[in-house]
Amino acid sequence: MPAKNKGGNSKAKEAEPKQQVSAEQPPKEAQTIREFVWQQYWSANPIHKIVEEQGLDSLSPADKQTYLNLELVRNTDKVKYLSKKSQRELWKQLSEANVPLRGAPRPRDDQWGRDKKGRDIGDYTLEEYAVYEQKKSRISELDLESTFFKRNRDRAHWETKNATTGEVYIITEDDVRAERGRRQEMAALRSELYGVTSNPYVNDPEWDDVVPIPQEEPEGAIAAISYAEDYAEAMGYLRAVMAVKEHTPRCLRLTEHIIDLNPAHYTVWLYRFDIMKALNIPIADEIEWLNEVSLEHLKNYQIWHHRQLLMDLHYPALQSDEDAIAALAADEHGFLTEILEKDTKNYHVWGYRQYLVRKLGLWDSADELRSVELMISKDVRNNSAWSHRFFLVFGNPKQSTPDSLSMEHDPKVPADIIDREVSYTQEKISLAPQNQSPWNYLRGVLVKGGRPVGSVREFAESFITSLGEGEDKEQVRSTHALDLLADIYKEAGEKEKADLCLRRLGERWDRIREAYWEYRRRKLEE
Amino acid sequence: MAYSSPSQEPHHAPLVPDLFTASPPVKDSLVTDTSISQDAVASSCRAFLAGAQEGIRVNRYGVPSLGRERHIRFLEKNLETLPAAFKAADASRPWIFYWCLNGLVLLGVDVSKYRDRLVATARSIQNESGGFGGGFGQQSHLATTYAMVLSLAIVGGEAAYRVVDRRAMWKWLCTLKEPDGGFRLTLGGEIDLPLDLPRDSPSHTPEQLDLFTGLADYVRRCQTFEGGISARPGAEAHGAYAFCALGCLAILDAPHRIFPRYLDMARLISWLSSRQYAPEGGLSGRTNKLVDGCYSHWVGGCWPLIEAAIHGPTIATSIENPSSGVDDLYSREGLIRYILCCGQDQTKRGGMRDKPYQPSDAYHTCYVLNGLSSAQHVTRILSADGDGMLPPWTYEVLSHLDEAQVYNEEDRVSPTDPVYVIPEGKRKDIMSYFSSRPGF
Repeated sequence: MPAKNKGGNSKAKEAEPKQQVSAEQPPKEAQTIREFVWQQYWSANPIHKIVEEQGLDSLSPADKQTYLNLELVRNTDKVKYLSKKSQRELWKQLSEANVPLRGAPRPRDDQWGRDKKGRDIGDYTLEEYAVYEQKKSRISELDLESTFFKRNRDRAHWETKNATTGEVYIITEDDVRAERGRRQEMAALRSELYGVTSNPYVNDPEWDDVVPIPQEEPEGAIAAISYAEDYAEAMGYLRAVMAVKEHTPRCLRLTEHIIDLNPAHYTVWLYRFDIMKALNIPIADEIEWLNEVSLEHLKNYQIWHHRQLLMDLHYPALQSDEDAIAALAADEHGFLTEILEKDTKNYHVWGYRQYLVRKLGLWDSADELRSVELMISKDVRNNSAWSHRFFLVFGNPKQSTPDSLSMEHDPKVPADIIDREVSYTQEKISLAPQNQSPWNYLRGVLVKGGRPVGSVREFAESFITSLGEGEDKEQVRSTHALDLLADIYKEAGEKEKADLCLRRLGERWDRIREAYWEYRRRKLEE
Repeated sequence: MAYSSPSQEPHHAPLVPDLFTASPPVKDSLVTDTSISQDAVASSCRAFLAGAQEGIRVNRYGVPSLGRERHIRFLEKNLETLPAAFKAADASRPWIFYWCLNGLVLLGVDVSKYRDRLVATARSIQNESGGFGGGFGQQSHLATTYAMVLSLAIVGGEAAYRVVDRRAMWKWLCTLKEPDGGFRLTLGGEIDLPLDLPRDSPSHTPEQLDLFTGLADYVRRCQTFEGGISARPGAEAHGAYAFCALGCLAILDAPHRIFPRYLDMARLISWLSSRQYAPEGGLSGRTNKLVDGCYSHWVGGCWPLIEAAIHGPTIATSIENPSSGVDDLYSREGLIRYILCCGQDQTKRGGMRDKPYQPSDAYHTCYVLNGLSSAQHVTRILSADGDGMLPPWTYEVLSHLDEAQVYNEEDRVSPTDPVYVIPEGKRKDIMSYFSSRPGF
């Protein structure tokens, strides 16, 4: 950064006493706009330069008189107190001295200000400064045009006639577009020159009629969030349009913007849904947008509720059209598969999936069953997939009692289905016997089928060797088998064997749950 | 029996049972995504549980002390102005109030100093049509309303209680009620398992249809084939919903009466118990999911209710040694080890977390500390005479004393109301206030 105060500093005299720069010496070419302005000033005020550099006494008597006269004229209003004669004499002397009476004011070093990067504008090169000035004047020019636009729009609103042409003022879409362009250009220039961030809504003439409602935060509010400017601005406009229940395309775009900034904002989702209904937005468009948002925000919850509301809205129109339902189901299925690949146990996604099965009646859909089987085969420990399978098999109205509880026998479920589920589960257990998901599933299936746990006794026993026959001999490949065996033996009245299972679980095989296994042992006695 | 400083016995290896340092004795060889992440977490926890983590001082049981001062600073900071990145919490600010205030009380801080500020903030968030939204100008939501009412109860005092427009709130709650017994979370919003509702509604009479009609039955339909409880009938059993469901039932009637009436207790207890893993010692939220500090509360907080329900009502004066004859159903030691070894952010930042290497936050700090509180205390149902709106039963929460207590006694946090999860006694205060004002 070049040194400042190239001229004008009276201390320069003491610092560089030998450099007796005379006013006549041709000035070096100015490197910065500050230097340039100083040079201009000194060339217009040679006597001042001598005074500042060498003191008043170094002037010739004539120059001294001129200097004092100039000071009197320029800096004071005392001339009028002089007698007429003295005034005449003063002007005569000044005229003879041939100096400008009203020169540019003496430059100040703090007159330039700083740009957005904190750089002193006085340090700009002449070229830089020219560009800077050009941008500033462009802003003024745009601002003026913008003022005309607003005036004409106001006239159009009141249907005022143009005095010369006699025609009513109108504002066309092109005018609005041009105005939007102007404001964007101004915002860009202001941001470039002053680092002022642009506010998209203030810059958009389409929003001029809306007075944003700022967030009112009481003094000392706790856990107040210092919002970024873009979020705070958008929210201000949201509150304003929600307050008057405006349901227009611009509001739809506003909700999109806010959801992008904060998808957890439930109020904006509900408002968006109202707008969609009011505008009759095609569901397909909304779903397409929603899919993108969903993939970006996997853990978000509101997205799935919104999707559900869309289906509820859409469904009555489709109800009688089997092909349309099938097409919708296929689309949804494709998307759900994609998203569950990224996040296999996402609670909200599975919740939506169940809603969809109920809504569209996909109980017997081959897609549905096959994809769950595929997920289980990819990760046999995915409990969400097991849960969904249970839901599909035992919630299917064709083969189950409506509203049958999960934990109760349902006589309507055909025996072959119970058989199928038992053998499917056993096959999956054998892949990884210490995986609790299929064991829980197996118990669930037996309850639904009204079958005793004893019906899988041999299967469960196959995972245990020499229980209670010594630390070395005893082998347990599944604590869940042991757990189930305790219930199987209890059911069969073989209390001692049941007790042994529970005791060994607590002592050796599942010690973290020792208190629970002890509790189960006490329950055997009841 | 607590050992506060390892420096007293510098040459002793910490007493950490191999249960918390070794692999589980039964393990499948099949590798899937689930087993990969499970193994990674178990191994990172083992390093912390062994008590040999560099720079972390532990007692003779290999357990670090509770960084009380750091955690207090962390929570207090979360109640001050938050940076712009917190915009994601813009729709759930009342939860931040609740998490921080409740966590601070658990750590022994008097939060009445926040009363005036909370009152002013709450007023700006309350809607004329009843209830509280997530922030100024947001639609009322059941979850944020719940968090706000709890926060007001925690700071306590008439000025805080008076904020709630009960008439408007009651009307609003009625509009959320669904014919199937559930509630919508907000108008136009999703149906969910009902959150705990205060029982002080004047509409409560057993004969009429009211806000409570069908609730218990809805909860019954949410119990899954696994024994746990889900958000909606048919969904997957999940720890957070287990606690909400038990809390809901416990509001409707005393746990020892209502739990067995609506739930298969054996399967529920089996499922809850399965949530505790070794070597981690901590709790998970679903079958085959990872441990997470927050389930120290969602699942851990079920145990006081379950244990109280199994034990049944007690006459207050008969308890001389509250720890004797306690039917523990889970490993308090395992949970406490997980919380103190793995759940604390050990840097200057403070706060509690999901698991090692995860950042701390107000949510986890509140619920991990709550889990610690429930593991350090014993809850009993006391028979008591009905007092206006107050139910004819209440709870007593006493210190759980153990012969081999692995944590330092000064690390015992405050007792918690087992149903509302606010400091013990605060429920009685707010209910007494409103029961002396029957109309609204």
